[in-house]
Amino acid sequence: MVVMEIAPLQWVLGLVLILSSLGVLLAKEAVHACLSFMLALLTLAGLYLELHVELIAALQVLVYAGAILVLFMFVIVLFQDAHAKILHSKARSNRWLIVSSASLFAAAFLLFAIWMPNVNHHVNQGTLQPAQFGTLKSIGKALYIDYFFPFEAVILLFLVAIVGALYIGKKERS
Amino acid sequence: MEQALLIGLFLPLVGFVLLMSLSFKISRKMTSLIGCGSVFIAFISFAYLLHFNNAELNVTLFSWIPVKGLSAPFSLHLDPLSVQMALVITGVGFLIHWYATGYMEHDACFARFFACLNLFVFAMLLLVLAGNFPLLFVGWEGVGLASYLLIGFWHEREVAAKASVKAFVVNRIGDLGFILGMLLTFYIFGTGVIADVEHLALQKFQQGDVMITLITLLFFVGAIGKSAQMPLHIWLADAMAGPTPVSALIHAATMVTAGVYLLVRMNLLYILAPLTLQIVGGVGAATALFAAFAALGQTDLKKALAYSTVSQLGFMFLACGATAFYSAMFHLTSHAFIKALLFLSAGNVLHMLQGTTEMGKMGGLSKYMPKTRWLFFIGVIALSGIPPLSGFFSKDLILDQEHLQGFDVLYGIALCASTLTSIYLMRAYTLTFCGECHLTDNLKKDVKEAPNRMLIPVAILAILAIFGGLLGYGFGKTSILEENLTNISLNTAENEIVHSNLMTSATLIAVICSLGGLLVGKVLYAKVFKRSEDTPLLLTRTFYFEEMLWKLFGYPVVLLGNGILHALEIKVVKRAVVILGKMCDTVAGAMQRMQSGQIRSYAAWMVAGAALLFVYISL
Amino acid sequence: MDVTFFIFLSMAMFVIGIVGVLFKRNILIFILSIEMMLNAGNLAFVAFSKTWGDQTGLLWVFFILVVAAAEAAIGLAIVINQFRNRQVVDIDQYDELKG
Repeated sequence: MVVMEIAPLQWVLGLVLILSSLGVLLAKEAVHACLSFMLALLTLAGLYLELHVELIAALQVLVYAGAILVLFMFVIVLFQDAHAKILHSKARSNRWLIVSSASLFAAAFLLFAIWMPNVNHHVNQGTLQPAQFGTLKSIGKALYIDYFFPFEAVILLFLVAIVGALYIGKKERS
Repeated sequence: MEQALLIGLFLPLVGFVLLMSLSFKISRKMTSLIGCGSVFIAFISFAYLLHFNNAELNVTLFSWIPVKGLSAPFSLHLDPLSVQMALVITGVGFLIHWYATGYMEHDACFARFFACLNLFVFAMLLLVLAGNFPLLFVGWEGVGLASYLLIGFWHEREVAAKASVKAFVVNRIGDLGFILGMLLTFYIFGTGVIADVEHLALQKFQQGDVMITLITLLFFVGAIGKSAQMPLHIWLADAMAGPTPVSALIHAATMVTAGVYLLVRMNLLYILAPLTLQIVGGVGAATALFAAFAALGQTDLKKALAYSTVSQLGFMFLACGATAFYSAMFHLTSHAFIKALLFLSAGNVLHMLQGTTEMGKMGGLSKYMPKTRWLFFIGVIALSGIPPLSGFFSKDLILDQEHLQGFDVLYGIALCASTLTSIYLMRAYTLTFCGECHLTDNLKKDVKEAPNRMLIPVAILAILAIFGGLLGYGFGKTSILEENLTNISLNTAENEIVHSNLMTSATLIAVICSLGGLLVGKVLYAKVFKRSEDTPLLLTRTFYFEEMLWKLFGYPVVLLGNGILHALEIKVVKRAVVILGKMCDTVAGAMQRMQSGQIRSYAAWMVAGAALLFVYISL
Repeated sequence: MDVTFFIFLSMAMFVIGIVGVLFKRNILIFILSIEMMLNAGNLAFVAFSKTWGDQTGLLWVFFILVVAAAEAAIGLAIVINQFRNRQVVDIDQYDELKG
């Protein structure tokens, strides 16, 4: 790893990201976990800005931090009484299975980390001018012209999700 | 010419199909017309084919088995030998069909009977007309099937049902030999066409070659089964449980001669295998003698005639063993006439006595049934070999063969068997027609001469029996049979005898023995042993042959079966199945533990799998 | 910029997400951890897209964002439904697929 090519801001943001992710795990209260996650998301947005993909950063804040997380917060607050009850019952999943699979996965990643010398460190120029890369105009063009079908498909997916969520969440009229 | 062949072959089949499908809707008269008519027209067709002066014809109808190396088209091969056999089959068959319209008139399943008889005629014709071995085997099995259907015709009677199964199974044992022989032929010669096999054999193999010996032996095993030679003769006596026309047609005149036909058809191959011929001659002689003794001891009229058939078939095989194939065919023909005559006259008696076949219950019938008595008597003296009836010429030809070719042992055995033939035939005649009448009083009132429908065919057969010898023996010139059977060349001894006059010493001895036998029989059974119960049990039980077979073969198999049942089946097989089931249960139980319903466990498995995949891809 | 830095970051976040999925019993934190994993993927996409200069990576990020939103909505709807039945948010109690 070449230290010189990373701006110190990116280091700081990276550190905060890791810490806040850990915070999600280690928080005792569900609300704290959610807030920690929000911090992680904002840090991510910062990292995107550092990488000069402003559109994605904006989308991240708007969609993830602004909509999804709010939704989570709503539901967590809705069930605020239930969170403490978890501690009263015993865990029923096989502890050894979980621990071993987690460690297996971590080990796999570690292995990959050690064996990662072949990644290209340098920037490739690509087809676009660096100034045009990641701008709204160019992404919009790509989305509406080259990738129009996936775009429409994803819209349909959204529609299905909305209808589904409405249907599932509806209260039974008995 | 082709049309005549096809009409002749397939008309009985058409008759069978018609009768089977329309059996309940048509009248008795119509059934008899269809049944007898089809066979009669077949006879006319084959008689028409005689015009063509011994031409050979091959007709292929369709490609039946197109496998390379085992190919068998449905091809018919017509030559003088097959025409001769076909004439015997359809001619005697027609007379018997005619007879059966009278014999079976009281039976409820009239149409089924004639349908099965027609099926039999078709199968037998297919057998003799087949051009290749697989098709011949189809006919072979077909006559076996028809025999099963007809022996067990009165299937409600346990005796008949058992007898039909016994006939089929024993035939099957012989068929194993046939199939092996056929497969070996395909393997060695690459073709199943009989004519081609014979040509190839003559070109490529010398006398005494091992493969030829093996092939001929295997086919002979098949012939033993079909023609009821020792040790597979056990089915023929029991087969008498079927109606008498069946016994006459199938078990005297035609089906049992299929074995002899097979040997004669393959005569070129058999000539190349002298070891087999010795075995054939030996088996034939032993059977002839054994069956003659057995016939002497039977109290049942039809069984006596059945063993007589076995004995005469032994004579035919004896002739084949001496490469006297012409004599075998000649004897086959005259025996067909005579045996059909004997069986049908016996049928007259049985019909009138409402089915009793025990000779102990007969006797003195000559005053009630004079015509039948004389017909039966003609059969007796014909088969005994008294000149100038046909049996004399054919049997004498065989005996002279043996003598001339130097097979003295076989000649002696044949002479004994011949003498015994006359003795037992006379015995049968005497016990049935002469002496005191042992009939019950009821029957005495009803018994009378048979109706014309049943007498005329028998009379025709009697005429053939008397004059049939002239077919085969030409008194110095070529006989009709000889002219027609050009593809079976006479061997040198036959030539000598046939073209000379018959006043050799062997002939004289044979005639004297036969006459003596007749006299002995008359005296013994008219004066000394007046009742049929005086027969020694040893003979009646045919020297306990069947009991011996059971002890040797049947009983060990039963023991083995029981042993397997108790030891293997219950202990091993059942346990194995149970253990398998338990294993499945255990595995399922173990795998069921994975389905805990815990989402985190499922997630854990997914993560583990993903880790492995990740490692695999990154490597 | 060095892409290995971002890869490590992404991997770390991903592992933390997996650990959260496996060890947390609260179903809401469970779903939250899944969202964290998706974000880790997003980061990797953006980093690589920037490295190769290929815009398709960004489009992928866009679609993942959309799908994550839809999935979160439906997931939460299901959780609410289950809560109405069982009154607990413990994932170990949701074991009706047992067998």
